[in-house]
Amino acid sequence: MKFKDYYEILGVARTATQDDVKRAYRKLARKFHPDVSKEADAEARFKELGEAYAVLKDPEKRAAYDQMGSQWKTGQDFRPPPGWDAGFEFSGGDGGAGPGADHSDFFEALFGRQGRAGARAQRHAQGEDHHAKVLIDLADAYHGAQRSISLRMPVLDAQGQVAMQERKLDVSIPEGIRAGQHLRLAGQGGPGLGGGAAGDLYLEIAFNPHPQFRTDGRDVYLDLPLAPWEAALGASVTAPTPEGPVQLTIPPGSVAGRQLRLKGRGIPGSPPGDLYVVLTIALPPADSEGAREAYQAMAKAFDFNPRTHLQG
Amino acid sequence: MSQNNVTFIQGPVVEEAVHLTLLELCQACGAEEQHVRVWVFEGVLEPVGASPQDWRFSGESLRRARLALRLSTDLEINPPGVALALDLLDEIAALRARLQRLGAG
Repeated sequence: MKFKDYYEILGVARTATQDDVKRAYRKLARKFHPDVSKEADAEARFKELGEAYAVLKDPEKRAAYDQMGSQWKTGQDFRPPPGWDAGFEFSGGDGGAGPGADHSDFFEALFGRQGRAGARAQRHAQGEDHHAKVLIDLADAYHGAQRSISLRMPVLDAQGQVAMQERKLDVSIPEGIRAGQHLRLAGQGGPGLGGGAAGDLYLEIAFNPHPQFRTDGRDVYLDLPLAPWEAALGASVTAPTPEGPVQLTIPPGSVAGRQLRLKGRGIPGSPPGDLYVVLTIALPPADSEGAREAYQAMAKAFDFNPRTHLQG
Repeated sequence: MSQNNVTFIQGPVVEEAVHLTLLELCQACGAEEQHVRVWVFEGVLEPVGASPQDWRFSGESLRRARLALRLSTDLEINPPGVALALDLLDEIAALRARLQRLGAG
């Protein structure tokens, strides 16, 4: 197990006051919160921050952590010394901030595995509703699909400790579903207490990234490169769509950025989305004598200055 | 278990086919009722109906309520701050969608 330096994670000195700790946490949490941040490792960083804060904001935990000494460095192999926590009494319950039960091995070795406070579960006989995110292909939204997905769920074992359990679920993906929407699967959430009904499971849908298509709600976007002469003179070209290739007529005088709308060819629904073909223009490389001559002939043939609007 | 007998679970699309009462929304997002009331007061959530007993939340409210809950617990933001953050996040999402449409996303 690797040692975690919670002070380093929050970027505060070991002498920092509780206010310093809180301020440092809030600042970093805003930066790395997965809902707000676009940093690549936001989720992992935020989890680490939550764990560090859960320890350092709690005077009992912080004192226990401190008495292990400052000689430890992040990443060092670590084993808690026997009786390290003698004389400390922890109030128990989760640290509050952060993702709750899902702490690192290091945290759990020191402070034990702790279930979420679970206050709601005690008051209500109905099981908790669960949430999970699933990735599907864009094609699934066009045609509907039946998918087997596996979910990892925290469950409380007989000792009240949290364990991760793998669970397989066979789900019908309805035609027309969009990224960001949720499917509600009745009775697939947490088990009920005292004969109460099980909670529901909400699946948030996201699309696997597609090399060609982007989506915005029900609308689908495709970048279609054209040769300069196709854009200038007009052409008939083949374009891929999620439902198979189509023949497109490119009007003469098309410019880069022009969008051709294929009505109703987006994600199905009422009304269905549209497919937008965004034209781009690709320049052939001047990498042969013939190609260079062709460009030179163009230069001669046109009295063309694309920068006239920049001259004052 | 035979592969032929697999039943695929079906469920409604929350954003299109589901409306939630106050209690159902609390159950679905794990928030306390008083939090949801405050969020309604701050305009984070806009249910139809005059009194809390009659409130019906759109399916879209679930996403907003969960986001509001995460922001308030993880970042210790107060309700007006949550309302502002959600508005700004909506605006960022709209701008990102626009970038995406332009092919720069």
